[in-house]
Amino acid sequence: MWDAFITFMINILLYIYNLVGQNFGLAIILFTILVRLLMYPLTARQVKSSKAMQDLQKSKKWQDIQEKYKDDKEKLAQKQMEVYQEMGISPFGSCLPLLLQFPIIIGLYQAIIRTLAVTPVQLVNLSKHINDGAQLIPINSQFLWMELSEPERLQIFGLGVPILAILVVITSYIQTKMVSTSAPGDDGGQGAQMSKAMSLYMPFFMGYLALTFASGLALYFIATNLTTIAQYVILGQGDFKNLIPNFSSS
Amino acid sequence: MKKYLILILLILSLSLTASACSGRRLSASGWPGLTTDQETAYLAAAQHVYAVNLNNGTLRWKYPSEADNDATFFGAPGLTDDGQLIVTSYDSNVYSLDPDTGNENWSYTEAEDRFISGSLVTSQGIFTGSADHNLYALDFQGNQLWPPFETQEQIWALPNTTEDCDCIYLASMDHHLYVIDIDDGSLRWQTEDLGGPIVSKPSLSENNTVFVSTFANEILAIGPEDHDVLWRFETKDWAWASPVPDGDQVYASDLSGTFYALNQETGELEWQIQPGGRIVSAPLITEEKIYFGTDEGAFILTSKDGTIQRNQTLEGKLYTSPVHAGDLILIAPTDNESLLIAYGEDGVKRWDFSPSE
Repeated sequence: MWDAFITFMINILLYIYNLVGQNFGLAIILFTILVRLLMYPLTARQVKSSKAMQDLQKSKKWQDIQEKYKDDKEKLAQKQMEVYQEMGISPFGSCLPLLLQFPIIIGLYQAIIRTLAVTPVQLVNLSKHINDGAQLIPINSQFLWMELSEPERLQIFGLGVPILAILVVITSYIQTKMVSTSAPGDDGGQGAQMSKAMSLYMPFFMGYLALTFASGLALYFIATNLTTIAQYVILGQGDFKNLIPNFSSS
Repeated sequence: MKKYLILILLILSLSLTASACSGRRLSASGWPGLTTDQETAYLAAAQHVYAVNLNNGTLRWKYPSEADNDATFFGAPGLTDDGQLIVTSYDSNVYSLDPDTGNENWSYTEAEDRFISGSLVTSQGIFTGSADHNLYALDFQGNQLWPPFETQEQIWALPNTTEDCDCIYLASMDHHLYVIDIDDGSLRWQTEDLGGPIVSKPSLSENNTVFVSTFANEILAIGPEDHDVLWRFETKDWAWASPVPDGDQVYASDLSGTFYALNQETGELEWQIQPGGRIVSAPLITEEKIYFGTDEGAFILTSKDGTIQRNQTLEGKLYTSPVHAGDLILIAPTDNESLLIAYGEDGVKRWDFSPSE
């Protein structure tokens, strides 16, 4: 099942690769945007549900219930469910679309990495997934100054500068900050602290991956981040004030 | 809270997936290359080249003594008449070693990409193709004999030659077969586009008909006189391994795992078997038998009429062609605890070699 899905993804990627004149860098960018666009209804639903949940949790009614039943967990849960039903909100409304997107994102990533087959074993493995793309082998993995199958460094005055890794850190920071705005529990509690830590560490973690792994992966991270940012802006959730911590808290 | 848990899950999964796929220079993943002389098996297997005593499977030496992540070896080593062992590496270098000690004689470092295959060694020099699209011709001191011969794509296939042609047969992933003058590196002739990438050695019959396998699901025979395609045989999947002419037949295979015996003159199918698993390496043909392996670990022995006489299943994958050394049949499995296993012709294991030794 999973293999069939990866095969499907790889063949779409190869189709795009062929369509854009066998430019794998461009194919990665377009493929990522395409998959993200197809997932837009899920993303929109997730954002909408998340927003509704945030609004609910800020409401007086919700706060009152929390206060009133703080010592009776069972009763609290029952009352919360009643409020959910009353407001027509599903408590899993924001989780489910995210979970559905998860295998697609992993599939997208795996399709890109598997298609960048530069050694015999990788090519043997790739052959399992290719229907009619033998003519496209070997994949042209040169894009701008990058060899997409290797970690990227741009030589500037004799110094190898990891441009893509830097871009990954910047775009990941912007994306996580925009996505994690005013999340439920932004009251200095455990959830808020975890959110803060995540938005700080996540970009560096992604940057580390971009620094050490194939630059095709870094290109995918950047395309994903920029598409996500664009989607949040379109959905009216892009709050650039959050990019500057002091500005946001004031 | 659920949202954060999902984010953590996402990070963990991403890191696990990333590390599993190992994008760092996309891991040097090939299969062992194997060559023998009368006393020793030389095995290029990832970070080392091993010299293994054929009598008992013990290690004579390994090169380099300490592993270097950049230098990985997968091409079958070549032996020169003047006593050098030539090995190629994914670090884009060619090394000459002393076959008795494993000491390095010289290295050639001008190539710009990996050497996937080993090198062809003739009395005139050393010839090896690189993923940088070039065929390099070296003398026995590691100097260029002539400027690199450039093709349009990566070269993964080992070149070939015959005793009387003074030429090199070179197949490239650019779909062409080139015949190059061995003395000056000039092009004598080249084929039309053969339809798909070629990654294995072109084979030659006694009358200099050339046989190639392509990823366009074909085995082709190319005539020695006018260099036209004499026949094409359609396989079920990509044809990776070199076809091997023998007698009136040519033996070929594909990634569907089908092994074919074709009529050498006409390309007509005489018989086929599909024992399970994909086939990427050329068979070993002896006087009466055929040995080949599959990526499901099946080590097959058939008679020349296609009757399977033995089907042993080993742990790991059999990507490397079996090699005949005296009364031993050597196999070099991938993903097996042993790097090299020696069988007698009766199918009984004589010894195996593990790198820990």
